[in-house]
Amino acid sequence: MLALSAGWAKATAEDKIVVASKIDTEGALLGNIILALLEARGLTVENKIQLGPTNIVRAAILAGQIDVYPEYTGNGALFFHMEEDPAWKNWERGYSLVQTLCRERNHLVWLAPAPANNTWVIAVRKDLAERHRLTSMEDFAKFLAIGGRIKLAASAEFVESPSALPAFEATYGFRLTDQQLLTLSGGNTSATLRAAAEGMSGVNAAMAYGTDGAMSELGLLALKDDKGAQIVYAPSPVVRELVLQRHPEIETWLDPVFASLTLETLQALNARIAVDGEDAAAVAASYLKSRHFLP
Amino acid sequence: MNGLDLMASRPARALRIAIHNQVLFTLLIVASAAVASSGFVSIAPNRLVSGTPLPLWEAAGGLPSLGIAILGSMLLSACCIAPSRALHYAAAASAALLLLLALIAAGHAATALVVNAKPGSRISFGASFWLLAGCASLALADAMQRLAAGIGARLVLAIAIVSAVLWLAITGTFDALSIAREYETRRQVFTGALLQHMALVGASVGGAVVIGFPLGIAVARRPRLQGPVFAFLNLLQTIPSIALFGLLIVPLSALVAAAPWLAAFGIAGIGVTPAIIALVLYALLPVVRNTSAGLTGVDRAAIEAGRGMGLSRGQIFWQLELPLASPVLLAGLRIVIVQAIGLAVVAALIGAGGLGTFVFEGLGQYAVDLVLLGALPAIFLALGADFLLQLAAALLRRRFAT
Repeated sequence: MLALSAGWAKATAEDKIVVASKIDTEGALLGNIILALLEARGLTVENKIQLGPTNIVRAAILAGQIDVYPEYTGNGALFFHMEEDPAWKNWERGYSLVQTLCRERNHLVWLAPAPANNTWVIAVRKDLAERHRLTSMEDFAKFLAIGGRIKLAASAEFVESPSALPAFEATYGFRLTDQQLLTLSGGNTSATLRAAAEGMSGVNAAMAYGTDGAMSELGLLALKDDKGAQIVYAPSPVVRELVLQRHPEIETWLDPVFASLTLETLQALNARIAVDGEDAAAVAASYLKSRHFLP
Repeated sequence: MNGLDLMASRPARALRIAIHNQVLFTLLIVASAAVASSGFVSIAPNRLVSGTPLPLWEAAGGLPSLGIAILGSMLLSACCIAPSRALHYAAAASAALLLLLALIAAGHAATALVVNAKPGSRISFGASFWLLAGCASLALADAMQRLAAGIGARLVLAIAIVSAVLWLAITGTFDALSIAREYETRRQVFTGALLQHMALVGASVGGAVVIGFPLGIAVARRPRLQGPVFAFLNLLQTIPSIALFGLLIVPLSALVAAAPWLAAFGIAGIGVTPAIIALVLYALLPVVRNTSAGLTGVDRAAIEAGRGMGLSRGQIFWQLELPLASPVLLAGLRIVIVQAIGLAVVAALIGAGGLGTFVFEGLGQYAVDLVLLGALPAIFLALGADFLLQLAAALLRRRFAT
């Protein structure tokens, strides 16, 4: 224990960068991408990947305990209690809003986000989608209007949070009854997707995240939110201002890599971790090599 | 013991079968029903979906199934024979073999299935495997109980079974099972996580004893303290661990910022420091409660006698009260260690590492075998620690008895 502490203390004294991430699959992937890049370019890094849930990681960076971690632009609504602001539903405006707020109030810099949106989506079984030609949320609302049978598995948070299911309902003009919902309190998307894929209790639709890797493997299709009912959650590396001033090159290293992470790319990479059970660090390294970001 | 009549028909007196060991009989009924009705292993096309269950005979083939059936029948006949030490030894041996055979059968079934399966397929233990292995373990425990086996005999048995299972694992019997594939992906970090888990438990139990033992003595000496102290410690128990972690980040970080030399001791707002503080706080209640209960439970007459013999207060404490209270203190320590091994799993939520890393990663991905990769070692750590403390208690009793 003491030897362990002494080792840490030594590292603290040097100029090293603490890379962290949230505990989920995509957190592990993006955290490892940042870590591998910084390390390969010769910076001293400390690995705090999969540190904990959102509130812990956020508290840690505010306290200066970690230096960089991937966060989603839309979470600015949560951090600054501005859930009602329509800017969050727009990719560019959401990013510039959270960038300004975080720089002014927290001295954190949000680097350019990936062109992806890990927002809440509703996914339906592919057989259902094909039979009734469902590709978008508008189709979903029409299908409900003609009395189509839907049972949606979702977390309590998704059902109750005004920015989640109620936002879909208001934008597309439908209303799910209690019989059409299977609410899993504290449920995550792995559980809801699995319920839909296996048709548990008649479930044929599921709450999911846009970049979820498991959807296609489980025979599910994400419905398009063409009217932008949901807050945009674009993943972006968040760095402490002090650290970025000392190492401005971090921005030039990370920008092209995050620019390459499209929705489809993230889905494929997440699937390798969640579905095939590959190690997140290995997936991150092989991606960086395949795109020649690393030798 | 009164036998339970299986065949109540009066004329066939000669055919009356009496069940002498009802515990074993019940276990065998449960195990047989499980094997007959549910899957021994299950095979899934990928890591996320539920698998298709396969019954024992279909998955493991004829020979292991026959072996399991023979051992089961031997145990069943053991229920009906008048008890003797030889019989209990035979039952213990059969139960131990049954446990090992169930493991071997599952491993072989997976190895056979994986040949024709797609690359992403996962083969996991099924319901009847868990029930068969569980019933075999309980049958073994029952036989050892009936033998009134001493701690030495139990130790030999535990070492024998653990070595056999380790040998099976090293020779690759389980390699085709999903849990082994999860281990394979995390081979480099697994040992580190296990050691980190033990370090977290050691540091937090150590801290709780250093703080809680004197506090327990104080509470035993001054009953007035009891109310407020226990109210406070009870309150601590009710704070959810994740909330406690969140609450600790800010003051700890501020502390390190104000006194940077603290960082040299590894103190930080995230990682090991808040995890150990939280685990110490949770461990305090059982330590303080058992220390004070152990000391107040000491027979007053013994202390009076000691005083009469002219012993000093220190001598009375160290030579009379502490030894007499030691069984209760040791019981408290057992609770604390087992509880800390379980609670240290949540330390992964604040970046302190340990086996919880696998549990939470597995929960997030709905990958049950990854959850097991974190949970099973934690369970075995708890069982091992419990066993070692029983051993210590037995040795202590022997010392004081002579």
